[in-house]
This record gives sequence, C-alpha cells and structure tokens, in this order.
Amino acid sequence: MLLEDHIRKNKIDTVLICMFMVALLFSVIFAIGFAFGLPPIFAMAIGLPIALAYLAITYSFSVSSVIAAAGARPANPQNREEKLLIYKVEEMSLAAGLPTPKVYVQDSKDINAFATGRKPDEAIICATTGAIQQLNNEELEGVIGHEMSHIKNRDILVATVTVAVVGTIALLAEIALRSLFWSGGSRGDKKGGGGIIIIVAIIFIVLAPIFSRLTYLAISRRREYLADADGAYLTRNPEGLAAALEKIKNDLPDDPKGSKTVAPLYIANPYKRALRNSIWSTHPPLDERIRRLRSM
Amino acid sequence: MDPILILALLIVVLIVVIFLFVFWGIYNRIIRYENRIDNAWAQIDVQLKRRADLIPNLMETVRGYMKHERGTMESVTNARAAMMSAKTPQESMEANNMLTGALKTLFAVAENYPDLKASQNFLSLQDELTHTEEKIAYSRQHFNDSVLAYNNAIETFPGNFFAHRMGRKTREMLQIPEESKAVPKVSF
Repeated sequence: MLLEDHIRKNKIDTVLICMFMVALLFSVIFAIGFAFGLPPIFAMAIGLPIALAYLAITYSFSVSSVIAAAGARPANPQNREEKLLIYKVEEMSLAAGLPTPKVYVQDSKDINAFATGRKPDEAIICATTGAIQQLNNEELEGVIGHEMSHIKNRDILVATVTVAVVGTIALLAEIALRSLFWSGGSRGDKKGGGGIIIIVAIIFIVLAPIFSRLTYLAISRRREYLADADGAYLTRNPEGLAAALEKIKNDLPDDPKGSKTVAPLYIANPYKRALRNSIWSTHPPLDERIRRLRSM
Repeated sequence: MDPILILALLIVVLIVVIFLFVFWGIYNRIIRYENRIDNAWAQIDVQLKRRADLIPNLMETVRGYMKHERGTMESVTNARAAMMSAKTPQESMEANNMLTGALKTLFAVAENYPDLKASQNFLSLQDELTHTEEKIAYSRQHFNDSVLAYNNAIETFPGNFFAHRMGRKTREMLQIPEESKAVPKVSF
C-alpha cells in the first residue's frame, strides 16, 4: 500500500477508533445512570458536558503544555547542529508533502524526539540535544521521518481525544463510585430484579477505567509501528531508523526526563525501565521495532 | 400501476444512484491526486530556483581563493545557466543533475584550499547547497509518489472506466539519468 493510501486508511481508522471510545464513554455514563437508578437522559445530561469540557480543555492546551512540560526551546539556526536539525525537518516535510513544522530542541543527554500540534499546519517537532549530537545523518533522518509520520497520520489528535476520553471515564467512575459508597441506601426503591443489573453496572464502572486505559495503550503501540513503517517509507531507508533505535536501546536512561502525559508522542518510551515492555507501555518493545524495520 | 413495474423502476433508480455516488468518489479522488502532482511539481520548481539563486554567492566566495580552477568554476556557472533556460521538467531535472555533478567536483577541489575551507561563509553556503540538493531529491520523490498514486487510480478498475471518459492519461515520473549517479574523478 502506498503511503498516501496508508494515510487515508488511517484517517478512517482514526474516525472508527474515536467512535469506539465515544461509545465506551456513553456505556459508562449509562452504567452510572443504572447504578443510581437515574434515567439515561439524566446521566447523559451530566456526563456529556463533563466529557466535552474535558476534551475542549485538553485540546486547547495540548501544544503549550507539552512544550512547557518538556522545557523545550526553539532551535537556534546559529548553532550548526541545530541548523542541520532544522534542515532535516524541512527535507522530511517536503518528502511528506506537508507544511514545515516548527523545530524545537530539548536540552537533555537522552536520545529522544517528539512531535506535537493540533493540525499539520500548526505542528512542532522537538529533538533532544542528545539526539542531534549522538545520531548520525541517516539515523537522525529516520527519527525525524518517524515524527513526521505521526503528524501526517494525525496521531497527535488521536492521542489527545483518546486520553481525554480515558480521563473522563476515570473521572466519572471515581465520582460515581464515591457517591454510591456514601449514599448506600439510595437504590432502595428498585425492583428485585434490578439489583443484579446494578451490581453488573457497578462492576463495569470499576473496570471501565482500566479497560479504557489498556485499549488506549494498545492503540498507541499500533500507531508507533505504523509511524515506524511510514517514516521508513519517507526516507526509503529503514536501516536509518533501526540504527537510531539501537543507539537508543544501548543508552536507555534510568531516570527519564520525558513528560508522562505526552509519552506516546516520543519516539522512545520515556518511562522507567520496568514498565517499558509490558501491556502498560505506550511503545512496543524496541527489539521488535528494530526487527520489523530490518525485515522491510 | 403494476407493483412489479414499480419495483423494477425502484431498482433502476437505486442502481443509478449508487453509480452516481461511486462516480462522485472516484472523480474527486482523481482530481485530488492530480492536484497533488501539480503541487509536488511546483515544490520542486521552488527548490530548483532556490538552488540557482545560491550559486552566484558561492562563486563570489570561491573566486578569490580558487583563481586557477577556472574549468571547475565554469562548469558550475554553465550548469546553472542550463537550469535557468530549461523549458520542460525533464530538461530542468537534467540541468540540475549536471549542476550537482559540477558542485561535487567544486567541493572536492576546495579540499585543497584550507583558507577557503576555514571561511564561515563558504561552510554555510556548502551546508545550504547540500540542503537544497536533499530538498530537491525529496521533492522529486514526493512527485513520483504522487504520480504513482494517480496512475494507479486511473489504471485500476473501476477508476479506468471513468478516467477514460474524463480524458485523463497516465503521467510520467521523473527519471534520474545514469551519469549523475557516478562519483566525479578529480585529478591534480
């Protein structure tokens, strides 16, 4: 499949994923309604505005909070290394057919990079000083290609929406469970058979946050593989990114400085070592990513 | 009216409606792909002009140092002239490849002039010319990718059916002439 066809398929997938997450959100709202003996419309009237408000706030602050959290600064064209980084970003954006993102730099010895921005024409790519110093031309190109693919695939949007829904589900579940705990007798007027539904609803409410988070992490891992593949297609050189990932593998920080909320946007998992390769990880295992790239 | 007749009529209407929707989708797709090609070519053009604009500056910088390398410097300026006077995309590409070859030689020869190599101006021009070369290469790649998508759309079924009636023909990709891939030999 061509990159462009990949992209269109991704956009459709993105819509489907968003619809799934919204459906999940609605199910949780309904479950809460059941547990409280409220009619669904009532539950929706409360739950939906909360969800939309959460989404709107996350969406509008997504870019500035990421940059601030990372402590990133605009790249300095007077510095030769940073100038070459700016050049790489321009080159990749031409290969992708996208407007050139702004280029930022994060002062850190770790090798890492991330992309952010609500729309392709407001995008930002940031690399660490560690990355531009330790990666050679090919490797840096592979990393930037990967980040450019995230922008082209609208992964930032997908991540923002998904995280917002997960957050809302967690928030609503927490509120619902606390209220239920404190007002144990409020369901006294339910018919006998309704009791089981309520118990099922409560179990669903307890499990929903975990389930939604696992779904989000699985989605995040899949998007990473996709960005690897699309990035390799942009550079026509999968080995570049593979070599960069090898260097990252041998240089994994024990005390990472990445911002947790934007973890999925980094090329390498900024989390602590222990969580790195589990189902709780936002990124697939580095070994598997390298293997796939080298088999292309 | 006879119900079977009504049913037949409805089926015909349904088929026509589906046909129109399919046509709508394919037509738009072909137009989108075509516009992508034109945009991609315009991008290449922008980079080629940028490259041509950098050359006079480069020549000024090296002129003082490389007084005896007239042949090398001339091939650069000639290639640039060819690029500016090119009329078709293919001609532009060939001229650009000539320029790339001439510049490779120039930079190889510049290795013998440490004063020149130490000049910040020269280094930054060299960086920038390398950069434009990469940009042209990637723009060309994107152009070819766009042409491939377009050709696929109008040659596969059912696109080919509509494309023929729309008067669309397959487009050509940009080729890289063999000579430009060779590394130039520098003799002293």
